[in-house]
Order: sequence, then structure tokens, then C-alpha cells
Amino acid sequence: MDAPISYPKSDYIETDTGNKVSRRATISGPQNIILGGKTVISNGAIIRGDLKRTGPGHAVVISLGRYCLVGEGCVMRPPYKTYRGNFNYYPMKIGDHVHIGAGSVVEAATIGNHVEVGKNCVIGKFTIIKDCAKIADNTIIPPNTVIPALALFSGSPGRFIEDLPESTQEMVESRTKSYYTRFQPLDR
Amino acid sequence: MAPSIDYHCPCLASSPAPPPPHLPSSSYSFHPLHELFFCEECDAVRCNRCVSVEVSGYYCPNCLFEVPSASVRAEKNRCARNCFMCPNCRNTLSVVPSDPPDMDDGRGSTAALNAVGEPPFFLYCNHCRWDSAEVDITFEKPTGLAAQLQKHEDSAPDSLEFERLKEHFEPFLRASSSSALAGPTPASHSHHAHVNPITAAASSALARDIPGVAKYAPHPRGRRDKGPRDEMSEYRSRVEVGGTSAMGEADVDFMRRIEEESEVAAVEQRWANSWATSLRTSDLKPLRIPLHSKKSKRCPTCRHILIKPEQKAQSVRFKIKLVAANYLPSMTVALPRPLDIVRRGARPPADDPSGTPGLHAGSTYPFQIALTNPLYDPIQVRLSVQRQIPPAVSAAAAAAATEGGATEKSRRPPFAVSLPSSAFPIAAFAEAWEYEDDEDMFGVDGDEFGLESRDGRETQGKAKSKTVGVLEKRANVTIVGGEVVIGKDARGEVKFNMLVSYTYRSDDALPEDEVRGTPSRTSKAPEMKTFSFSTAVNLGPVVPREENRMDTD
Repeated sequence: MDAPISYPKSDYIETDTGNKVSRRATISGPQNIILGGKTVISNGAIIRGDLKRTGPGHAVVISLGRYCLVGEGCVMRPPYKTYRGNFNYYPMKIGDHVHIGAGSVVEAATIGNHVEVGKNCVIGKFTIIKDCAKIADNTIIPPNTVIPALALFSGSPGRFIEDLPESTQEMVESRTKSYYTRFQPLDR
Repeated sequence: MAPSIDYHCPCLASSPAPPPPHLPSSSYSFHPLHELFFCEECDAVRCNRCVSVEVSGYYCPNCLFEVPSASVRAEKNRCARNCFMCPNCRNTLSVVPSDPPDMDDGRGSTAALNAVGEPPFFLYCNHCRWDSAEVDITFEKPTGLAAQLQKHEDSAPDSLEFERLKEHFEPFLRASSSSALAGPTPASHSHHAHVNPITAAASSALARDIPGVAKYAPHPRGRRDKGPRDEMSEYRSRVEVGGTSAMGEADVDFMRRIEEESEVAAVEQRWANSWATSLRTSDLKPLRIPLHSKKSKRCPTCRHILIKPEQKAQSVRFKIKLVAANYLPSMTVALPRPLDIVRRGARPPADDPSGTPGLHAGSTYPFQIALTNPLYDPIQVRLSVQRQIPPAVSAAAAAAATEGGATEKSRRPPFAVSLPSSAFPIAAFAEAWEYEDDEDMFGVDGDEFGLESRDGRETQGKAKSKTVGVLEKRANVTIVGGEVVIGKDARGEVKFNMLVSYTYRSDDALPEDEVRGTPSRTSKAPEMKTFSFSTAVNLGPVVPREENRMDTD
């Protein structure tokens, strides 16, 4: 009953595992990026897999789980800091069923499973977001914030608003799955 | 706003009939399905407003440390480790070492010209750049900050006063809690009864000091209150409350000289303090972060546990989770655009950015309700519109409505809703459907799934003319169509109550048991049970036909 979300077939590359990556997204350092499958990277998203730890060889910089969505114009950038006088980037890990709304900038260290990040949010460096948390639209999460499981955060700086219902996990899971099934090319 | 269906929890109502949905107060009785619980013992829906809540564990929302309940009280419900909140913006503070380049503005820590990680350490806000060196709070080592601050806190006048108050009330609390245990009426299970020893002590103290308060007490049980009130000695505070005149003058003096409004701490910044504090922003102290709790929830009538979280603070799993979504069919409502019916899948040019067409007064609209069966057994569902005033449903309801009846009648909904009148089946939920839904089942028309439907209605369902009735069946989802006729003078929102009754097969109140039951049991004639619940369907606002029509009203 839900309306499909259609896109011109030529706009997205579909991988064997069902990831759909927009040709208009900027994917730097793709060898350092892992997509879990059935993950959608929308138009205009920027994913900085090139900002890796100093040192030889390649390392995973950004990993996304299954059924994720990186919204239009999002920036995903690994967090960095100077530790003992050395500047370094640190990997970013994102779980399954994570939707990131359009125009958000994410520099989190860890995002758990079933997390919803709204539109136009800023997720500061080394933020840790636990499972089933939700960040409302236009929220600014300052660096080093910890967001506990099943919490709704909103505002600038983002503050705890309320506990989310116990069935959040199922709700988010069905929503992300339905988004993926509805996300279909036009000419098929 | 998209059309929605909310479910009724009868906890606030005295009668089983749901309140009319157009009243603003009715929103307290209707909830989205995923926020509701279901008690198997009572066979009833429960909501967050009626369940009784118990704390099953405490944790710090920042360091995620699970605080044993024994130490929660001693630590005053706040994190006793390294977690502090910015007094300015309530962001979490981080501990930073003295760093010479950052400290060149003469904050007094100029001695630290060594490598990174040199003391003194201080707390720094990443958001508003407040730091604790501003208020002369620095630390020798970056761990156990709360312990290092302990002596400051303990000598603060408010905590001294609090300790003194506690001491004063201690004997009374002990006496009243023992009497409450032996009392003739055990505390009712309702969450409204807040008569615990602490509130009792507070109210009796208030009643004694301020004459006249007692008669506004919510629980006027005079003789029980009288005894302890007389026994209690008068409390003498450490600081005379009236003696703040000197401080008041200092405040006035300070306010006269302010140059920027940011020098004065906002009410919100001073709000959390239990003590009248200085007005100056420069006197704000870092706050220890209040603990959060995990809660278990119980049915208010039978006390059975509905929600029991796992012990681990950050786990999102539950040992017991009886949510209504596992028992009641979930429903979504949609208003198809006229084009959608003709060519599904193609997106017509959207005239409305919200994606839902406006409802125009004086027109007829079809709508679709998709019902999803969460049970492992097929169910039969019957939908009916509940009138605002059910005509002679019961004498009680009629009696209740007599005085409001006249006004209600004049406010009859300016629209008429037709729903399929006969019962229709929804197939059982099977795990396999999930996997098929996962794959690219989308875009396949109903025909393939419709083959197994018994009465071959899907051919009719696809006919364009048919709007009321079963439109589509696939997996455990059945889509039915309804129709709403909107009157010419309609305004406001199209909202109506819908009674949903479903019949399921069960030999007791637990529908899941049927699945685990022996095959022989399923073969014999099963007992059918019917469960009914009310919903409020909101189809969205009506676009008035003409602008001047609104003026004449």
C-alpha cells in the first residue's frame, strides 16, 4: 500500500549483495568502506573512506551494516584526534538498520543497530550511539557524547528527551526493510 | 499529516465506549499500536498511562555504568564517577589536561608547561566552551572526579541542610513506615496513590507550618495524620530563611552593574538546584549527571509483568515483552490518489508535497485500510463505525450522554463513512512471508497471491468501480476499502471511531499456545474467541470548499 520510492535506473549502481549506491555520491577510498548489503547510498552523499589511519596497508575506515540508508547530501567522515602528539583518524562503525536523514553530517565512532538519525543533524566526533536510539531532525550532538539505548535526543546541544517504546526495534526494522523494498528503479 | 489509526486504551474511561475522537482530550485515550501492551491474564490492552512502573536497574547515561541500587541513594541518584554536565548548556563535559596554548589567557594554570596530560585537569564543554577553571575547579588527576569534588559538595549549604532535614525526619519516617505496613488499607495498586512515608511526612510538615494547607491535601485522612504531626518536633533550619536581605541587596547591586545579559545565569541554569544560588553565570558549578533507569511494567489490575528488561543496561532485549502489536492486527490507513488506482506503481505528479491529497468538502473519497495479522492463526475481522452517540447502546451510556447529548448532536460529524459490513478473513502470520517480503516481491500484483484466497474476490477487488469491500489479500495482510462522503460544510479533520472485532481460534486466552499445541488438538473443533477494540481513524484535514464559507460559520 505504501508508495514506491522510484529512481532512474541509471542513477544507482546495484551490487551483488543488494547495495544501491548513487552514481552522484562521492565515495572516496572505496576499498576502505564496507557495506553490509541492501544498503542505500543516496544522491550527493559524501563518504570519506580515504581518511584512514596513518600507516601502510588498508584498513576499514567506515563500515555500514545491512538495510542502512545514507540520505541525500549526507557527509560521513571518520573522527580524528591528536593523541600523544600524533594526529590520526579512527574508524567509524555503523550497525544494521540505521537510517541517516538527508543533509546530516556524521563523525561518530560507533552507531549501534536500529538507530534513526534525522535530517540536518550534526553528529560530533567520537559520538557513541547505542542500539535503537533516535536523533530528532536538526539535532546537534557535540563531540564525545554517549547516547544510551532506546533514548530520543533532540536540540542543540542534543539532550535526552524521552525513552522510546519497547517495540522500537521491530518498528525500525520493518521501516528500514520496507524502505529498501520500496526503493525501486523506474524502468524495470 | 498522513492518515493514521490510533488504538484505544480504556484505562481512563469509565464506560467501555471510546471518547469522540474530535475532542482534543481524546488524544490521551488513543495511542499508536506500538506503544501499547497487552495483558494475557486480563485479555486487555494496557498503555503507558495505566501500567505500573518499577525500576529494574539504574545506569549512568554517559558512562553507561550500571549503578547498584544500594549505592544509588548514597550517591544522590547521580553518577559518582567522571560524568558531569555543563551548567551552561547541559552538554556532557570532558576532562582535559592543562594545555599551555589553551591557557594563555591567564586562568591561573600557567605552571603547566609540560607534555600532554599534565595536571591540573579541568572540565571542558565541547559545545559552549565553558570550562571549570572559570569557577576555580581543577583536578589533580583525571579520574575519580566526583570523589575529588565530594568535599566541595558536602560542605555546600544545600547538602548540609538536606542532611539535617533527613536527620530530622528519620525517626518519623521509621515510625510512619511501620504504621503504614500495619495499616488497615494496604496501598492501592493504582499508580495514583503516592502515599508513601516521604510524601506523608512532607505534607504533614507543610500542614503544620502553613495553616490551611491541610484541607487541600488529596488524601484527607485526618485522624491518621494528626497523631504523627503532633509528635514531630519543630524543625530549625541551619540558615534563617528570612535573612537573605543582605544577599538580595548584593543581587540588586550586581544587576545594576551588568554589562551583558550572559552574566546573569538563566532560570533554566539555576533551576535544577535545590537552593537559591547566586545569579551570576560565573558561579555555576558543574553538575553530576542524573542516573537513568530501566523500567519493568506491570498490568495495573492483575499485577502480571508486561515488560521486563534484561539486566544489562544497554541491551535492547527484554525477558518479558507483551506488546499489543503481537496480539492485535496492525492497521494502516491510506487515501489512494485517483491515479494510483488506475496505474499502481507509477507516481503521479504530486500537487501536495506531503504526499497526501487534501480532502475537499462536498466530495467522496475512497480509503484503504491494510490489516496485518500477527497471530499464527487465521482470523476473521469485522469493522464497524462507532457513532459518536451510540443510539441506545446501553442505558448507562445513554444516561451518561443525556446532558451532553444536545450539544453532541449539533456537532455531528459532517461526513459519512462506509466500511465493509461483512467479516473478512486475514491469513495467519507465517515466518516465511517475511523472507518473501524481503526479496523483490514488490511490484508483483495481487494476482499471484490472490490465487489462494477462497472467494475469488480479488478479481472484483481489481475492478476500478469497487471501493468498499475486500480489495486485496496477500500473505497475512488484507486490504479493505472504505468510503467517506464529506459534507458540503465540513471543516476540521475527518476523524471517526472504528470498532474492530476479530475472531481467533483458541482454547484459552493465549493465542500462541495453539501453535505449540499437539496436532490432534488442532484437528478437533476449536473454540472461537472474539476480541474487540476501538480505534480512532484520522483521514486528515478537510480543505474547505470556499474560503468565504469559513467566514460565514
